[in-house]
Amino acid sequence: MNDSLAGERQADAMQVVMIGLGEEKFALDAGLVREIIDPVPVTKVAGARAFVPSVINVRGNVIPLADLRIRFGMPQLEDSADTRIVVIELELDGEPVLVGVTADKVYEVTEISQTDVQQTPRVGMHWKPEFIRFIAKWREEFVIVPNMERILN
Amino acid sequence: MSAMDPTEVFRQEASELFEVLEGALLDLGQRPDDRELVDSAFRALHTIKGSGAMFGFDKVASFTHEFETAFDRVRKGEIKPTQELISVALAAKDYIRALIEDPQSTDDIIGEAILDDLKRFVSADQPVAAVMEIAEAPPLAPAVTKQAGWHLYLEFETHILRNGSNPLDLLEDLCKLGPCFVVPVTDGVPFLDEMEPEDCYLKWDVKLHAACDKDAIDDVFMFVQDEMKLTLSPLEHVEAPAPAPLFQLLDEELAPVAEMPAPPVEAAAAPVAEQAVAKTEPKSESKPEPKLEAKRDDRGIATVRVQAERLDELMDRVGELVIAQARLTQLAASGSDLSIKMIAEEIERLASSLRDTTMGARMVPIGSLFGRFRRLVHDLSRDLSKPVEFVTSGEDTELDKTMIECLADPLVHLIRNAVDHGIEDTATRAANGKTEQGRIELAAVHSGAQVLVTVKDNGGGLNTARIRAKAEEQGLIATGAVLTDHEVHQFLFHPGFSTAQTISALSGRGVGMDVVKRTIENMRGSIDLSTRPGQGTTVTLRLPLTLAIIEGLLIRVGEGRYIIPLSAVEECIELTAEDERSRGRNFLNVRGNLVPFLRLREIMTASGTPDRHQKTIIISTGETHVGLVADQIIGNHQTVIKSLSKLHSDVTMFSGATILGDGTAALILDVAQLVALAQSKVEKQHISEAA
Repeated sequence: MNDSLAGERQADAMQVVMIGLGEEKFALDAGLVREIIDPVPVTKVAGARAFVPSVINVRGNVIPLADLRIRFGMPQLEDSADTRIVVIELELDGEPVLVGVTADKVYEVTEISQTDVQQTPRVGMHWKPEFIRFIAKWREEFVIVPNMERILN
Repeated sequence: MSAMDPTEVFRQEASELFEVLEGALLDLGQRPDDRELVDSAFRALHTIKGSGAMFGFDKVASFTHEFETAFDRVRKGEIKPTQELISVALAAKDYIRALIEDPQSTDDIIGEAILDDLKRFVSADQPVAAVMEIAEAPPLAPAVTKQAGWHLYLEFETHILRNGSNPLDLLEDLCKLGPCFVVPVTDGVPFLDEMEPEDCYLKWDVKLHAACDKDAIDDVFMFVQDEMKLTLSPLEHVEAPAPAPLFQLLDEELAPVAEMPAPPVEAAAAPVAEQAVAKTEPKSESKPEPKLEAKRDDRGIATVRVQAERLDELMDRVGELVIAQARLTQLAASGSDLSIKMIAEEIERLASSLRDTTMGARMVPIGSLFGRFRRLVHDLSRDLSKPVEFVTSGEDTELDKTMIECLADPLVHLIRNAVDHGIEDTATRAANGKTEQGRIELAAVHSGAQVLVTVKDNGGGLNTARIRAKAEEQGLIATGAVLTDHEVHQFLFHPGFSTAQTISALSGRGVGMDVVKRTIENMRGSIDLSTRPGQGTTVTLRLPLTLAIIEGLLIRVGEGRYIIPLSAVEECIELTAEDERSRGRNFLNVRGNLVPFLRLREIMTASGTPDRHQKTIIISTGETHVGLVADQIIGNHQTVIKSLSKLHSDVTMFSGATILGDGTAALILDVAQLVALAQSKVEKQHISEAA
């Protein structure tokens, strides 16, 4: 955790894609994001872990669709006009893996400044601290920068 | 291809030649009298030398030259290829390979040592003497040896110059045998505007005034004999024994040529050829030679080297095309436009034949893989001093090239195991009344949509009691648990399981069989073990023909659609009300046989109400037949396999996914895993009920 925090501090600003999950706002590192697509028909995978319940077809590739809301214990809303799938590329065990992430809303691509980074509080959170890289302040709101590798492993 | 590094071309070519050379050398160990093998080894060596020099591998060329010189006496039949000699020759081959692949790491001293060995073997009985052509051809009839010379008619293939051969050099070599009259025959030369500058149109009519024997002439043309027609007939009497400059001779000879009854005219060439064949046949020329030539000819003309990545790329494109075609077919079926339907059908037909052709292009005969194991067995049997006969069959069986690559490691493990653990040492074999020499058979055979690769030894068989004891010791089973032999043998595939009492350099660390199993299962294959105490063990690998596209049966369960590999499907029947009656009794009566069934709706946790008429697909995994109950059978589906990502690697029920005509993903059922999963679930239930 401290390593990644230190790494972030070296750069002045970080490009992020701001997405909404339930009531919360999450900032995904823009470097991870490959594309943002409209919802597509999903195929349920029986017996899979709850946070990757299904697969989707993205340009001829069958990729898993992850649901962060389950990892963060949030209620799953019905798909709305704002629902999008954010396709991100991660390194899992040394191999690049494409994963789709359901977002209730995608706001914008923006920059968060390192000076806005807040220490993750040790109390007052019901999320596993290892899922969170850090919390930053953005337009008078606190946004969560999740640690996608940890969440999906 | 044209942009390829020429040295890379040489490396590739050389590696193929090494295979030929190694194969020939190993065969020679078993059939030391086979002249054809010696010749093929020699040809490979010669080509390596020639191309090595051409591509600037001077060290390779000079070493190979020495090797060749030493080996020449074997070719001349002066010494027999003994086992020791073959071992040294193999070492020499490895050294040349190292020189080509990694010149930096090779050491001249090693090369010299190998050469010394070689020389020692070939000159053990007598000093290397100048070779006497006449002495080495005893079978020649006296009438032939005494004749005054030869009349040769040379006709090269037109492309000979492109292969780097120069007929003039050959003629020069021929002149070294004795005084020659060489007359070019120009009637094949076309008009200037039709002439290909790189083709050879000339033919030659040669009178050789020397009492050399036929083999000496054959030697001159040894490396081009596949690309030329050589008509040979003995000269009746001495015509012009005086050696004279070539040009002068030409002048003198030109006039007679015109009225000569023999060759130049094509029609006349035939009888002469027959005559020559008739005369040469009873002599030393080995009969299988023409067959060999024909084979090599085919290969030269009909094959093109293609980079493996291009084939992979092609396969990907075809996969995408098949998916797009499925969408088109679906679209056409939903509309009423007849012409679109016709086009869709046409494209479907084309796509499926394109798929077959592409997959065919990726098929490689498994023989290319078998070749390297002969060396392995040869070395192992020497190191362990267990004489082993290695027999392969079904080399022509074709498999997808990626599978051939994946198969190499598992087979190395299996063969090593067979030699090290399977075959007993000589004393034990003798005590058990077996032949001293062990036997290992490696075979490949097509069986339906599968290829079976078997490794069979005639050794001691598996020691079931010891495996069991070891499994108990490692806590894998409870002491005294009731297990069939088959179940006990499965522990061999357990990671870290080894019954070898001592760890040898070769095996005993318990890494191996689990890797074999995993690799085979990754290829969607399975592995069977069968053993008979005292008689040996057979390991059978069952492999699908290809990894990329399969024929599948598309079914619907609730909202979800799934693919069952068609190779596993036996038949489809309707689930009758009678079968549905009892929840506790999941058996079908299929023509008097009891077949258990699984409800896919339960396994896939499908929502909604089941269709009224449930269908059962009877599948087979190994020996077991199981019915899978689905809501609907949609039909046949060309399934392009996409692997599931790491995030779903814990879901064993599915072997992959595919994309359907409407663009949604569908999962491919791994029937073997599905059945295994259901079995273990039932067992757990029984245990919890019993508790």
